[in-house]
Amino acid sequence: MSGSGRVRVAFVGKGGAGKSTIAGTFARLLGRAGRSVLAIDSDPLPGLPYSLGVAVDDRPIPDDAVTEGPPGGPRWVLAPHLDPEALIRRHGRVCPDGVRYLQFGNLRGHVAALQKAQHAWSQTVSELDRHRWDVVGDLPGGTRQPMFGWAKYAEVVCVVVEPTAKSLHTARRLLTLSKSRWAPQTVAVVASKVRGPDDAELIGSRLGAEVLAAVPHSDPVLAGDRRGAAPLDADPEGDFAKAVGVLVERVLSLYPAAAKERS
Amino acid sequence: MKIAVVGKGGAGKTTASAVLARTLARRGEPVVALDCDTNPNLGLSLGVGDTETERLATLREQIGDGAGEHAPTWEDILDRYGTDGPDGVRLSVITRIENPEPG
Ligand SMILES: Nc1ncnc2c1ncn2[C@@H]1O[C@H](COP(=O)(O)OP(=O)(O)OP(=O)(O)O)[C@@H](O)[C@H]1O
Ligand SMILES: [Mg+2]
Repeated sequence: MSGSGRVRVAFVGKGGAGKSTIAGTFARLLGRAGRSVLAIDSDPLPGLPYSLGVAVDDRPIPDDAVTEGPPGGPRWVLAPHLDPEALIRRHGRVCPDGVRYLQFGNLRGHVAALQKAQHAWSQTVSELDRHRWDVVGDLPGGTRQPMFGWAKYAEVVCVVVEPTAKSLHTARRLLTLSKSRWAPQTVAVVASKVRGPDDAELIGSRLGAEVLAAVPHSDPVLAGDRRGAAPLDADPEGDFAKAVGVLVERVLSLYPAAAKERS
Repeated sequence: MKIAVVGKGGAGKTTASAVLARTLARRGEPVVALDCDTNPNLGLSLGVGDTETERLATLREQIGDGAGEHAPTWEDILDRYGTDGPDGVRLSVITRIENPEPG
């Protein structure tokens, strides 16, 4: 897992499909391999802390981190004393396996606060040192907003899909959107909460797409969720962790082609 | 009576809404089911099928894109952008369209 290229991966899919559970585990497995990983939550109801294994803290980045930009540019910019590295150093939370975590989706407060967070997020991901950081983005459920929001930044977007009618329907919408010219270049289907090989096959055939990896439904993960333990802590060697490990390998194998297409 | 159903992704909002709507309709109430999700799929739980669910979503997007006409009253909206589901539930998609195209 020591490929030199850095990856930028985002997880999309229907609400509840398992995006956050997979994304946090994915980030930690990259971190465990010695890589510098930034996990970014763009969901106003943060889901990543649970799977990263840190306490939930939905404080937005502080107000003074963002100031009004000079005329002609974006409305809000990171404050002069902050570049992305400094933002991560000061406000990124340190998680198990060395993952750094930033939360940008917070909706509390006013529209202006959300706009500020949006600008801070987009500046952070676009100016971040690509040769240093892997970026894992966890997105809110849905279609257009998440898919297009991250399209500029992620080289690989994983569509997380459960073997259920509505999850498949959402995935189909996402795959259609992925054909638009704004969409990210590499879109991969990740089967989630499957209860056997039939489920992954069903997902592949219904979507007419290859399934990059199949992540099983896991009782230990669910039990961990209830007592506040992240999947990797609840069941470190279990099927879920193994399957996300396979996903990590397969995503890495999409590089450097994925990165090239993007630039 | 107006009932709104909210909750986390995957918690069962859509499924509960559909069962609620059809149960009320079976008791003889006139029921309108409004899908306010930006990723609308209430049609699937009500039982109008994949194709019709997608047709309503697309119709709604066309209004968002300015391709369709704005309907003047809510009755018009139900009329033009709705469909009849099982047990006589009238379904319409009324989501606010976000990011019709990225900037
Ligand atoms: N493989 C799995 N096995 C068992 N439970 C799982 C699995 N994946 C996810 N879950 C459980 O399913 C629920 C929803 O998962 P998660 O929060 O990751 O979904 P999400 O797609 O991020 O949802 P949202 O759209 O609301 O952000 C959680 O309670 C989680 O613990
Ligand atoms: Mg989530």
